[in-house]
Amino acid sequence: MTPTAKQMDDLVDKGYEHGFVTDIETEIIPPGLSEDVIRFISSKKNEPAWVLDYRLQAFTHWQTMTPPRWASVDHPPIDHQAISYFAAPKRKPELNSLDEVDPELLRTYEKLGIPIEEQKALAGVAVDAVFDSVSVATTFRQNLADAGVIFCSISEAAQEYPDLLRQYLGSVVPHTDNYYAALNAAVFTDGTFVYLPKGVRCPMELSTYFRINAQNTGQFERTLIIAEEGSHVSYLEGCTAPQRDENQLHAAVVELIAMQDAQIKYSTVQNWYPGDEEGKGGIYNFVTKRGDCRGDRSKISWTQVETGSAITWKYPSCILRGDDSVGEFYSVAVTKGRQQADTGTKMIHVGRNTTSTIVSKGISAGKGQQAYRGLVRMAQRAENARNHTQCDSLLIGDRCAAHTFPYIEVKNPTAKVEHEATTSKIGEDQLFYCRSRGLSEEDAVSLIVNGFCKEIFNELPMEFAVEAQKLLAISLEGAVG
Amino acid sequence: MSTEQHAGTSLNAVLQAGQRAMTPRPSNMDWLTPVRERGAASVAEMPLPSRKDEAWRYTSVGFLEQAEYQPLVEGPFDAIQLSDIDDLLLPQSQGLRLVFVNGYLATAVSDLAHQQDGIQVRSLAGGLGDVSVDLRRHLDAIAEHRHVFAALNSALMSDGALIHVDRDIVSRAPIEILHISVGMEQPGISHPRHLIVLESGARAEITERYACLGDARYFNNALVEVALGADSELLHTRLQEESPQSQHLSDLQVRLAERSRYRLVMAALGGAWSRSDVRVSFDGEGAEAELDGLMLARDQQLNDIHLDVQHKSAHCTSRETFKGILDGKGRVVFDGRIVVAEDAQKTDAQLSNDNLMLSRSSEVDTKPQLEIYADDVKCSHGTTVGELDANMMFYLRSRGIPHARAKQMLCQGFAEEVMAHIDNEPLRAYANKLLTARLAQTTE
Repeated sequence: MTPTAKQMDDLVDKGYEHGFVTDIETEIIPPGLSEDVIRFISSKKNEPAWVLDYRLQAFTHWQTMTPPRWASVDHPPIDHQAISYFAAPKRKPELNSLDEVDPELLRTYEKLGIPIEEQKALAGVAVDAVFDSVSVATTFRQNLADAGVIFCSISEAAQEYPDLLRQYLGSVVPHTDNYYAALNAAVFTDGTFVYLPKGVRCPMELSTYFRINAQNTGQFERTLIIAEEGSHVSYLEGCTAPQRDENQLHAAVVELIAMQDAQIKYSTVQNWYPGDEEGKGGIYNFVTKRGDCRGDRSKISWTQVETGSAITWKYPSCILRGDDSVGEFYSVAVTKGRQQADTGTKMIHVGRNTTSTIVSKGISAGKGQQAYRGLVRMAQRAENARNHTQCDSLLIGDRCAAHTFPYIEVKNPTAKVEHEATTSKIGEDQLFYCRSRGLSEEDAVSLIVNGFCKEIFNELPMEFAVEAQKLLAISLEGAVG
Repeated sequence: MSTEQHAGTSLNAVLQAGQRAMTPRPSNMDWLTPVRERGAASVAEMPLPSRKDEAWRYTSVGFLEQAEYQPLVEGPFDAIQLSDIDDLLLPQSQGLRLVFVNGYLATAVSDLAHQQDGIQVRSLAGGLGDVSVDLRRHLDAIAEHRHVFAALNSALMSDGALIHVDRDIVSRAPIEILHISVGMEQPGISHPRHLIVLESGARAEITERYACLGDARYFNNALVEVALGADSELLHTRLQEESPQSQHLSDLQVRLAERSRYRLVMAALGGAWSRSDVRVSFDGEGAEAELDGLMLARDQQLNDIHLDVQHKSAHCTSRETFKGILDGKGRVVFDGRIVVAEDAQKTDAQLSNDNLMLSRSSEVDTKPQLEIYADDVKCSHGTTVGELDANMMFYLRSRGIPHARAKQMLCQGFAEEVMAHIDNEPLRAYANKLLTARLAQTTE
């Protein structure tokens, strides 16, 4: 488990900024998946009986399912029996302040550039840092509690707010939804629970830094955000992971529920380990994210910057049930090396006057493979619904690939749907213009790419926008020429 | 396929019945035997498309279960006179006209007078003389059996036009292929098959039409192969005006050699169930293709176009413009796939699909796709779905034009972008007249 100093150095030398393994004792169960493992997870987390029932039901259903094959990604079959489904830092601290946090952990965050103390004061951001599967540090809890916002881990919610959890868990992404969502429902270890009561505007941006640490441990996060009538919340999610030789499976489920006039903004910056140049190692990121605009005039907005993972399989979606509800999807995805991404969104228009906007920017470099796969469905009742979709792909290098697979289904004549997609490489003339003004080729490309993605970065909260731009520049280093 | 023992049509049964009907084969069709055998073998292996297949996601072949389709055998259609099909004939036609009735060449109503040196026109069943080796080697060498119906066509192809245009020959007049379906007691299935080969530098114009007499009930399962040599040019117009009871499936597969030009204008107006698969493969550098299509889906009609544009070579250009008009419970399915292979640099491909919904119960399912493996390309696609523009309507109404007429005018304007590409004037006039008539039925 504990890497030698040499290994550490080697890993760091490989150039992945966040690739290191933290030396913390981890309680881990042997690899394998069975009812017993699920019972173990459930008892370890001291869950109410209904949660265990839910898990077992999902597991039974999962066993009848087969992995999806339609995505244009290519990977060897995953051996679910080779994955360990539970890992928790051994010294699970009951914390009152950061001082009690394992100093080793804190150093990890510092390496990642997340000084929790500073962030607390500086940005006013509450950080629920998920280290492996159990939350170890929670800040600003009190501030949020004063406002009436519940912001805690799913495990805590199971203890403290079982009624709320029971009412909403799996109500947007049922355990039967798809193969990986079923798996998640069976073995989810932890995640975030957010509840905003009626009329509450969350006093700060909520954020969680996910970090996969223990070797051989798949991470099965579960996030549930409920925004009651008239409430408003912005949630940020960012990910880094240590370097690995074996592929790690990450199958998260995110459920958002927006009642009447409520607004949820969900932003993601994902830079998990993408594997080495040959595609060895790297995270498999198979995520089900779905938002349900249940109330009239509600709004759910997804923004994502995806630069990491060996394979990304992710379609943050909106079900626009309430009249006048709004769905948004803004995405930048970068694939290089041997990375593969099949990502997009689904906008299901059910209510009247619902509108949705999709802006997807794909950048494919090296031998990167990328696909936008999206669905816009106008149901028969969706009077005057409106969708605009724009998918642009930028190609860097002659061995990369970029695909666009939009599905458009319209059953209402008053609905208006527009879809546009373009694919091109960086224009010679654009490059020439920049070069002739003294920019290096790399800087020129970075400038053009940042311009290409600006529309998306504008949607990110400020701190994330800065981070995302840096990330993009780092991601594209060496991709040109 | 043994699972479809219940009522309805089993393709294996169709295959066997068709094979029985063909023996003993006329000796001049012996060269086809290997093709037929290959087709029959595929039919046995390939499953019937289901909604679970991505290419058939929105298009069910459930109609096969509704009736027992019998393979149509050559009938005594001598009774059909020119006067019977007068309405279907184009005025001032100067070229060859091959008329196929229920899938078989009807020489009595065909016009074979305008032969031209350097252009070889034969029929598959041998009715127009021996088929040259030039033609034989192309048959079934261009098409891929992408679904079981294409394989079935190869196994049972009845008759069709085989056209060969020699090097640098320019055809003087359009060659017309006209299919006429006549109702039989039992719904029939026929398998027309055409092959068009242009040698390098040749230029030709071909019109392909599918029409009917009366309200016949039938299933046309056509396959058309086109091979264009270097620097050749083909203008291809297809007009699908099948009966409202019929099913129409046509698979058009085109191969383009270097610097060739292919222009296709297709209007699919009829049929209860209609699907056209169009595959264009850029085999040589610098070729161009321009594809335009119109789909009309009125009450209970399903109109499906599947495009598969394969940019395999560098410096090729393709433009695709497809439009759908929907009314009643009509459904339009559009799938426009453009694939740019790794070495197809400098590809320029632009696709657009616009759909106009006139009714509350119609449905559009559209799926433009780009699959790009090269980097120095310019590719785009655009799709819109919407209803008639209220401002335009108001403009016309305020000038005293009645609602129905205004609606028709706007629809025709919408369709014009496609229809205007039909170069052949009598055909364009005919197609526009047909469209007007069908639109008038929809707006009532």
